[in-house]
Amino acid sequence: MNRISFKVTGAQGQGINSVGEMVAKGLKRAGHHVFGYREYNSVIKGGHSSYQLDICDCHIESSETKVDMLVCLNYIGLKRDLGSIKKGGVLFHLIPDWKFSKEDQQLLDSNQIQILYLPMEKILKEHNSRPIVGNMCVTAVVWGLLGRNYETLKTMAAAQFAQKGEEVIALNHTFIDEGKKFKEDAAGDIAIEVPTADAKRTDDLLVTGSEAMGMGMVHAGCRMYCGYPMTPASPLLKYIADKQNETNMVVKQAEDEITAIQMVSGAMHMGTRAATATSGGGYDLMSETLSLNGIIENPSVMVLAMRQGPSTGLPTWSGQGDMLLTIFGSHGEYPRLVMSVSDAEDSFTLMPDAFNFAEKYQLPVTILTDKHIAEGLYMQPQYDLKKATIDRGVVTDQKELDTLTSADRYNPSATGGVSPRWLPGAKAATYCAQGDEHDGEGNVDETGENAIAQMDKRMRKMETMKAVLPEPELYVADDESGKLSVVRGQLSDVPELDVLVVSWGSNKGCILDALQPTIDNRQSTTGYLHYTYLWPLKTEKLEALAKKAKKTIFVEATYQGQLAMLIKMETGLTFDHQILKYDGRPFFLNELQEKLLTINS
Amino acid sequence: MGIPLESAGKPNVQDYSCGTECTWCDGCGDYGIMAAAKRALVELGLAPHEVLLCFDIGCHGNMSDKMLGYRVHGLHGRVLPFASGAKLANPNMPVMAFGGDGASFSEGVNHLVHSIRSHYPITFVLHNNANFGLTTGQASALTWQNQPMNTSPNGIPEDTLRSMDFIFSLQPTFVARTWSGDIPQMTRVFKAALQHRGFAFIDVLQACPTYNKFTSHEWLLEHCYDANAEGLDPSDREAGKAIACDTAERVGCGILYQTEDIPHFYERLVPRQNVKTTPVEEVAITDVSDLMKEFV
Repeated sequence: MNRISFKVTGAQGQGINSVGEMVAKGLKRAGHHVFGYREYNSVIKGGHSSYQLDICDCHIESSETKVDMLVCLNYIGLKRDLGSIKKGGVLFHLIPDWKFSKEDQQLLDSNQIQILYLPMEKILKEHNSRPIVGNMCVTAVVWGLLGRNYETLKTMAAAQFAQKGEEVIALNHTFIDEGKKFKEDAAGDIAIEVPTADAKRTDDLLVTGSEAMGMGMVHAGCRMYCGYPMTPASPLLKYIADKQNETNMVVKQAEDEITAIQMVSGAMHMGTRAATATSGGGYDLMSETLSLNGIIENPSVMVLAMRQGPSTGLPTWSGQGDMLLTIFGSHGEYPRLVMSVSDAEDSFTLMPDAFNFAEKYQLPVTILTDKHIAEGLYMQPQYDLKKATIDRGVVTDQKELDTLTSADRYNPSATGGVSPRWLPGAKAATYCAQGDEHDGEGNVDETGENAIAQMDKRMRKMETMKAVLPEPELYVADDESGKLSVVRGQLSDVPELDVLVVSWGSNKGCILDALQPTIDNRQSTTGYLHYTYLWPLKTEKLEALAKKAKKTIFVEATYQGQLAMLIKMETGLTFDHQILKYDGRPFFLNELQEKLLTINS
Repeated sequence: MGIPLESAGKPNVQDYSCGTECTWCDGCGDYGIMAAAKRALVELGLAPHEVLLCFDIGCHGNMSDKMLGYRVHGLHGRVLPFASGAKLANPNMPVMAFGGDGASFSEGVNHLVHSIRSHYPITFVLHNNANFGLTTGQASALTWQNQPMNTSPNGIPEDTLRSMDFIFSLQPTFVARTWSGDIPQMTRVFKAALQHRGFAFIDVLQACPTYNKFTSHEWLLEHCYDANAEGLDPSDREAGKAIACDTAERVGCGILYQTEDIPHFYERLVPRQNVKTTPVEEVAITDVSDLMKEFV
């Protein structure tokens, strides 16, 4: 694994993302593996934000803590971020007459940092241009330092500004030429070697987790989306709303989260596929409705995009602290499914499954994601559109509908607890989706016998569903390539591991990158067990692996270690070590590697 | 306006009947409202499987298992978004939402505001008995002042919400008022509401013999009059609003304001123009290869 990285920092609104995204796209199209990571504050203008791009000769889903090049669009980066440049790295900035403090100068000297100053203000003045166009010049310099072809950049700029007309394209081309000229005149032999490309990956997608999820929902037949803006769930709402004229979906920005989940519930009850997404605070508001969907056995699909709380907490940062909320939150006991995506691949592929589970077992499904996935930029092979199937568990055949009685709808003796569901409008006996405890047809029935029968019926669905849920996936390094990949096969032939790492969600990307055998000891076998389905929790495979493993390590972005709490509750099993963090940042590659090494040494 | 009890092939009132015993107090206005709802649906030729009836929480919500039809009995204050979501999923299905004054002017008042301004094409029946009945008679936002109520022994310190002023300020397209003792009038109003293009708001003043001592059945009988019979033209917004808001002497009932000129929510959705299918019918694994292109 050969990887490099660079980071652009500046104020929000300065266009740092445009630099990162343009370079990412160019590199991706040449077959280089990239991963993009954004940090920003909860403000519109100002603040200190960054866009980091990691580039590798194989697939990566993680960021390094130190970069080969730091690009500072304003002075704040020069004051704060110098420590994040690797030894021998490059500092590229736009600040005229900047004087480094004594300490900073020492740091730069001892780390042999090469400094490159681009007189942006002067160039802008010469062309009488707005600062935003300057970003194209910065992009061109970065482009050149990475050894890219300038004609390719011009073609990409022309495509990006095609809607804005020839004049804008010409202006951007001028600034590319300025960047090229500066690079050639001033950069001397400063260059950053980009790891080898893979010609097979040039047609990959460069996509955020939110965009992947949006496409996945459309693919799954979701026809209605209701949402209320809340970071980091808003990018999904924005993506789906932006595409409505292509997808013909019904999209509603609701007056609050309660409305969003109620509208989704109504729409699912009527028989379409609908979804909503929110973050922790919005999920709190929605949870009463989840309980309703539990008792009326109404399928619903909702996304909880996590950021770190409590309360408003760190609104533009990441975390995993809402997992137990989705499992234990909301009043009363009712069956539910909680699952988590981990990257742009399963943010797409799990969407049809989420809807299928919701409809087949007639219960609320929560899909967990987090800010890191929602806004991370992933390189992703084009999705296989032939794989997904649809399984709605809805009675539509008129002959079958004719035989139904009202009491079949919530028949307590239904096999596996799953009773027939038919849609309003169907020519059949009618029923009441009753939020009070009810009998088979939805009439209120407060007798103790009925309460037991109906609770048993509903909760039986958990066992029925658990039996078909996939076990967590085990990743072990391949002997030949060293690359970690999923181990298929029987539970009985689980391998004997020296180290078993267990985690879920966005941590997967960093864990798989960190466990590459270039860092880890080749002699020891490390396995990573990744949980996608969190409730009901499958533990057979985990218990079998943990019994044989010499050391077990649990990784999570929380204070309490929530999945470990759940595992202990279900199995009594505890982990030898826990690596936890709760600073709002995702796990970074070197950070995790160091922690793993400390434990393993 | 005869009651069609049996008519070959066509829906009749008995089709909506079920064997569940009613649990309302003697003299409760809900009996009359349920009778009128059934009659309106039958007179419009709608069979129980052809309608979705959504109920809020409160005494009226106990109607959910006292008649047939596809029914939902959801959360307190939330009937409007549930009903609207259902309607948007299948715009061909008539949807009625029923809610009390407690749910609609306290817990879920935001939904009332946004449902009216969103012009969802549904019918909303407000069971307005001016108190929280099912929780044994607490004051609602529509309870009169100086009325000792459960938990307000001295009457409410707040002002009573001027509900019709409020509703008219939201630019509604259909406002009616009727009362629980006048089944023929309720039937007429419900039918018009079900045939209305957009969001229909119907304020049904409802007798609550147990907890509402200030607007009893007798009081309503004495004060309510048919404003349409007295010449109110429902297209005259200002006249309708004036009658709606002025209840000092008499309470004007009937269709107070109606316009069919305003497009409803679904009609305003750009992506749904010229789409013949409903979102319910469109659920299928969908090809997204075009959507993938921008990311290559």
